[in-house]
Amino acid sequence: MEKEKIAIVKRSLFSWVLPGNVKLQVVLVLLISVTVFARVIPLEMQKRIVNEAIKLRKMDLLLIYCGCYLVSVLLASGLKFMITILQTRISENVLANMRKDLFAHILTLPLNFYRKAQPGMVVSALVTELATAGSFVGLAISAPVINIMTLLAFAGYLIYLNPLLAVISLALYPVILIIIPILQRGANKANKQRVDSTRTISSLIGEAISGIHEIQGNGTFRLENRRFGSLVDQMRKIRIIWTLYKQGVKVTNNFFVSLGPFVIFILGGYLSMQGQLELGAMVAFLSAQEKLYDPWKELIEFYQVYMDASVSYKRTMEYFDTPTEFIVEPEGRRALLLPGSIDIKELSYVTDTGIQLLDNINLSLKSGETLALVGFSGSGKSTLALCIGQLYKYSGGHILLGEMEVADLTKQDLITNMGFVSQSPFIFSGSIDENLVYSYAAIHDVETNMEQPSLDDKIAVLHQTGIFVDVLRFGLNTILDKERQEDLAARLIIVRENFQQEYGEKLADHVEFFDENKYLYFSSVAENLFLGTPNDPTFSENNLPQNSYFLELLNRADLTMPLLSLGAELTRQTVDILGSLSPDPVFFEQSPISFDEWDESILLADRIKRTKLLQLSDIDRNYLLKLALRFEPGKHKLVALPAILERMILEGRSLIQESITRDAPAAFSFYQLSNYIYNQTIMNNILFGQIKTSNPKALDTINQSIIQLIIEEDFLETIVEIGMQFQVGSKGDKLSGGQRQKLAIARTFLKSPRIMIMDEATSALDNKSQTRIQNLLETRWKGKTTLISVVHRLDIIRNYDKVAVMKAGKIIELGSYDELIAKKGALYELVGGKK
Amino acid sequence: MSWSAEKSESCPTCEFQQNLNVLREIYFFSALPLDTLKVFAYLCTRENFKLGDFLFTQDDDDGQAFYLISGDAVLTRTENGAEAIIRNYTEGDFFGALTLLGNSPRLFSLKASSPVTCLIISRDKFVHVMNQYPQLMSNIFHAVARNIHHWEELFLSDRSEGCKACTQRIGVSLI
Repeated sequence: MEKEKIAIVKRSLFSWVLPGNVKLQVVLVLLISVTVFARVIPLEMQKRIVNEAIKLRKMDLLLIYCGCYLVSVLLASGLKFMITILQTRISENVLANMRKDLFAHILTLPLNFYRKAQPGMVVSALVTELATAGSFVGLAISAPVINIMTLLAFAGYLIYLNPLLAVISLALYPVILIIIPILQRGANKANKQRVDSTRTISSLIGEAISGIHEIQGNGTFRLENRRFGSLVDQMRKIRIIWTLYKQGVKVTNNFFVSLGPFVIFILGGYLSMQGQLELGAMVAFLSAQEKLYDPWKELIEFYQVYMDASVSYKRTMEYFDTPTEFIVEPEGRRALLLPGSIDIKELSYVTDTGIQLLDNINLSLKSGETLALVGFSGSGKSTLALCIGQLYKYSGGHILLGEMEVADLTKQDLITNMGFVSQSPFIFSGSIDENLVYSYAAIHDVETNMEQPSLDDKIAVLHQTGIFVDVLRFGLNTILDKERQEDLAARLIIVRENFQQEYGEKLADHVEFFDENKYLYFSSVAENLFLGTPNDPTFSENNLPQNSYFLELLNRADLTMPLLSLGAELTRQTVDILGSLSPDPVFFEQSPISFDEWDESILLADRIKRTKLLQLSDIDRNYLLKLALRFEPGKHKLVALPAILERMILEGRSLIQESITRDAPAAFSFYQLSNYIYNQTIMNNILFGQIKTSNPKALDTINQSIIQLIIEEDFLETIVEIGMQFQVGSKGDKLSGGQRQKLAIARTFLKSPRIMIMDEATSALDNKSQTRIQNLLETRWKGKTTLISVVHRLDIIRNYDKVAVMKAGKIIELGSYDELIAKKGALYELVGGKK
Repeated sequence: MSWSAEKSESCPTCEFQQNLNVLREIYFFSALPLDTLKVFAYLCTRENFKLGDFLFTQDDDDGQAFYLISGDAVLTRTENGAEAIIRNYTEGDFFGALTLLGNSPRLFSLKASSPVTCLIISRDKFVHVMNQYPQLMSNIFHAVARNIHHWEELFLSDRSEGCKACTQRIGVSLI
């Protein structure tokens, strides 16, 4: 199995045709034989209908022959359909296998490979380029067999009808066979260039998307457009040439094939006049000749598909033809359990380009010992860590884990014994939970009898790495789903009541509690009007300006005009303040106008200046109303809420609540202490209010109080569990750099490996978190886990068993911290002491 | 479309206008044109602190500049576990300008010694705005340089003769 996978880049295109598809291919060939037979019958019937039935005026024969004709046509069509089904199945089977195998191979390629390979290119190879190869494999046997057999059958029939005529009309085909390959060579050359240029473009697109913040930050739109444009133009030229050649093949083929009837008319006509050819035979000859065209065309098309497929297949496989440096899973045995000691002897690492990054490294760690690697950047400390972690293949010397050479271990052996936390860990899109079990799952996938980590284990590592509070906050900021989480909502209402009693007064400065007799400055005008959550989507904030029932209520409360002018004032003010800046999402956090609406708002501000509100278009008025409904005076300070409007809205609130309770009681859940508010976060539901402050210290106080309460109410685990479902976004970009690092450390802790390698794993953390993790390494993991830490901050290395100072790829000092400091050598200097 | 003084009186509750007036008084901002000041007046936020709350704490890099609208605060520094009071701030004081210009962990803690209301602008917002007006950075630098010069003048005239180490450190404006 393993050997097959390694060989994928060496496999020829034809090697995919039979394996796994033998049965399908055999059935296919059988079907084809029947089909060919069914295709010839109509020709013979045609002749007999003319010669026997019509000429002799025999009605019964006419019916029999026509019946045979019909049956064979139906049979041929039905069989053709079945053949297509089989071909498609084979194609798609093979394509799926190709993709899976190639992806598996790509994942195991050495890290060095990815210095030059762009993600976009890999995507285009896997998604686009292999598709033609796949469709070729489906046709590989069936297309030539069915078409050549049909051709031979028709040709045989033609010869049987009239040898002379047959030989002359068939003589055209060899000519085609000479011309077409010449054109096809041109097409192949263009196709090769097309594959390459697709690859370059995919790389460029991939790079532009990953670096979009730099492009927008530096405003290099023109530059990037130029680059992309010139590649696209190049590609356009190549594609035109490619298509012209391909069409050239088709046109040439058509031309010669159409010459066929010409030969028949002139020669057959002559023979017929001479009485040497029956008219029926000539009709049959003409249609047989015509029928030659389809299989011939398909054959030529197949030839083209074959050419295209072999070009893209070969190009793709060549690209990925780099040997892997390790074996993924051991064969016939379970993963090794290694003792945790590390011996490094005369280790060296030289790059492909001949640069020596590590030079004669000797180092020995007993199981459970800790080592700090220090030195300036470029000294080789990260490279050493990567070599030990089998991420770089060292070029000389030995790294022994217990008795085993790292280079000879399978990945599975390694991950079962070692955890590696890299400098800039990658977090995958998905939930916190999925990322947390990421390392553990890799072992579990193979060792299926292992238990899944329990919630307690997960919570423990979240605590240890200090990301627990963040996860808790994610949990608190979750909006519950009404359908699925009703029970939880009911329990949270009890927490809310207790919160009001215990903390209500203490937090009153920072929280604006929902209160039906007060205007809520940190809620929108719409929320203030309803003081409730819409259950009916026509009452959602976006739909309100089109909701005629609501508009009628606004009119009755005399609020329409005041709100329109509020919307106008908001537009005017925002445009006045921000109009001269290029838009940036940061600027729109304090305005009800969103970043996306900005361009339109500038134009609208201009219209407002020139037109009376009542004369604006419906669209404009709807938008102004929407803005006013979004307005939160506590947050959007650019316009003050006039006291009179505040009073009118409060009066409007009672009118609206009364009307809705009477007319559509199911449309809203009003904010009452006994109702869970489904469009608000768990936090706001417990608070039964909105947080007023953005000051981190005040937020901290609120968080502390809430955490205190949910611990008392025995709710902590539930909320953390919800928080662990938080979606971290693509590449984890909804997490901060520190949170990503903490999560990466947590996922390594979760599998509690015997050997842990941390490559500047705490560099993005604040002092407090760094110290916390350092303490943990020195207490909880001490003696149980062999630890190698690449360290850039020298104040945390005091308690390591050993410190190795690296310079230019060598270890220049090795010993305990105290020894090295006493020696007054390199470490002493690095720490800041002077000689 | 510009805001005039009369308008602010007709709009006593308008926080934006008050913020604008405050910014025009602060040395750090006062040299900026009105259009830019309006953006800052829009972007800054107000916070209330209770007696004993910390506005910021030593070693944090919170990246915020403060203007005291009302109340008093006391600046302290903790060294080897001992907290020493440095000075008091009161209504109208502005501090934290340097933190807007680059990362700088706090060397001091500031604690409210009465209920405090202040105006806060964050480094993040400041940088986003100034990125759009790179040419105006020179106004800011002039203001900062002038302020440092002024500070050192005061220091030289007030310095107590007893502090030898302080004398060694004189010359901030030379750095």
